[in-house]
Amino acid sequence: MGGVFHAAILFLVAAGLQLVFGVQKIFNLACGSFYALGAYTGVSAVAFFTGHGGPPTLFVIPLALGGLAVGLVGLVVERGLLRFVYDRDETFQLLLTFALVLMLEDLIRLTWGTAPASTGGLYLAYGQVRLLGATVPVYNLIVIAASLAIALGMGFTLTRTAFGRIIRAAADNREMAEALGVDMRGVYARVFTLGTMLGTLGGALVIPATAAMSEMGIELIVEAFAVVVIGGLGSMRGAFLGALVVGVLRSMAISIYPELEMLLIYLIVIAVLLWRPRGLFGAAAA
Amino acid sequence: MATTRREFLKVAGAAATVGAVGFPAVARGQAKPGVPSDPVKIGVLAIRAGIAAPVGQAGLRGTEWWVERANKAGGILGRPVQLVVEEESTPKDTVERYRKLILQDKVEVVIGGISTGVTLALGPVAEEMEVPWLSWDGTTQKGVEETMPNPKWAFRSVDNEVEAIVAGQLTPKYFKGIKTVAGIGNDYSYGHDCWETYQAVLKRYIPDVKFVLELFPKLGVTDFTSHIAAIQQAKPDLLMCSFWSGDATIIMKQAAAVGLFKSMKGVFTTAGGVHDSLKKEFTPEGLLLGYNTMYFDDPKGSALLKQFVREYKAKYNEYPAYECDHAYFNIESYKAAVEKGYAATKKWPSKAEVVKALEGIEVDSLSGKRSWRPDHVQMCNFYQGVTTHKNGYDFVTIDPIEVVSTKVAMKPAGSKLIEWINGWKI
Repeated sequence: MGGVFHAAILFLVAAGLQLVFGVQKIFNLACGSFYALGAYTGVSAVAFFTGHGGPPTLFVIPLALGGLAVGLVGLVVERGLLRFVYDRDETFQLLLTFALVLMLEDLIRLTWGTAPASTGGLYLAYGQVRLLGATVPVYNLIVIAASLAIALGMGFTLTRTAFGRIIRAAADNREMAEALGVDMRGVYARVFTLGTMLGTLGGALVIPATAAMSEMGIELIVEAFAVVVIGGLGSMRGAFLGALVVGVLRSMAISIYPELEMLLIYLIVIAVLLWRPRGLFGAAAA
Repeated sequence: MATTRREFLKVAGAAATVGAVGFPAVARGQAKPGVPSDPVKIGVLAIRAGIAAPVGQAGLRGTEWWVERANKAGGILGRPVQLVVEEESTPKDTVERYRKLILQDKVEVVIGGISTGVTLALGPVAEEMEVPWLSWDGTTQKGVEETMPNPKWAFRSVDNEVEAIVAGQLTPKYFKGIKTVAGIGNDYSYGHDCWETYQAVLKRYIPDVKFVLELFPKLGVTDFTSHIAAIQQAKPDLLMCSFWSGDATIIMKQAAAVGLFKSMKGVFTTAGGVHDSLKKEFTPEGLLLGYNTMYFDDPKGSALLKQFVREYKAKYNEYPAYECDHAYFNIESYKAAVEKGYAATKKWPSKAEVVKALEGIEVDSLSGKRSWRPDHVQMCNFYQGVTTHKNGYDFVTIDPIEVVSTKVAMKPAGSKLIEWINGWKI
């Protein structure tokens, strides 16, 4: 069950990564930093809320809003930096997003300091339930449900709405979409902001269960890469399945043979790369 | 020495109440006869980034607090103290910065060093550069064994595994009938060494104890729910955890979420390093918790400790942890050694004379008396105790408080750790 909670968070970050790659063909290394940024903002938003007399049981509202709001930084990054490198070599794009990783880590340290930040005991505000013989905090279930809802919402948006069709068209063939009158600048700005928001929301939602540390993004991005490789680059369904595989297998490995924890994930990554180099859902575009 | 100190206290205390802002940082022109009047430069190595950044920050804050007070009182023999701060990062880069401090900045002494991974590399360089180096928290141990039994210039922190030894000694006293134990620690030398040592000590007190599970997540992991599930499955009577950074807070929270400590006892050898993040809402009473060498709320603490805690809280809105005390002791012992050297020769002592004077010297640090063993290892007290909610804070403190000296909890110079533990009379 712990694995599923982890998978839910991992899915949000990986989905952001996939969305941006699918449409803009940019591999956004900074997605882990957005996750950390969302975590710290979540802590501050909750502290502000409870500090101003907000009832502790409603803390998820400022948490989620804070996480989504700071996602707007994606718009600034896209308009201010990324749009200049779309036509350049992929190396430039990687370097730029890696520079963002370093800058955001320092920004976090300057803003929130070096000590871990946390929301105290709010994690247990909703109590615990017994599920399949294990005690599970209700908060974990809320996050899993929210993540599922976002996955379904994304699926619906991509397949059933006009915006979704434009996104898929842009992912398939940018020139053709542009020739048909799609404003690619607007699409890129919206897609990148949405992708960033998924990451920052993931960071905000995880924080009650843990504590924010400036390098938390680095830890996560490694797993997010594994998810992307297993699921297939650019695929939403791949992100969903990949996150579930990584989250649950890691959890099982710890219970059965702890030394295998990280190794197992990479073994699967290697296996996927050997047998299905495009990942489980690699053929399908976003 | 003692009276001068108290006078310092009065002056600095008064200054603090007045609101110390407008005071000249450095009292000039009072250098003693035979002492140069230019500032004495002290190099500092502090971790600034990553998991251990809060530890480096605490060490630096303790040092700065010392310098501010010392300079108001005339510096060292009338020479104002000037810090040159460099970053401790990887062993290779830190060694380069260490050389830079000595060759370019021409510092008289280098203090600092937290990670044993780094200080293990610094030790031989200190010997080669022939400038005294006093380490805050880093040792020159490989695993649990000393690599530099007879250093000339390097002064090392307490052995890494001391808190595991103290916790092992206290476990049978506070938790009766323990038969099975699980352990969790970070996957690097500190985590492994603490677990190995704790097992060796506990076996001496409870010969039939069984160690049923050991987990070593990577440093920096922020999700322990799966580890906690594995611990629940193993059903130990007691969990020993040597986390010391934000991960201690995180595992405490995630353990509370599933009620882990309702079914087992808990020993947190080092979590006192992040003590004010261990909120009552998720940290139960009745755990054994270690604060390393300084307990901020010690009712028997000195006036110096109380003043430090008060001013630290006022300035940073945090309660200080042990690294401040390591750092304070380092620089205070340097000052005492210089003064001791001066008393003998009436000149500013040479670096070699300072080193000689440091050996065996004892000074008042924040936590009380601390000294350098003749083989250059810190001697001090360790503070551990049982967590309680009966205090005025929103985090746990300890009561009763156990104070254990390195005289009984650290392997003597030249001995092998496990042989020494196995030779105890119990």
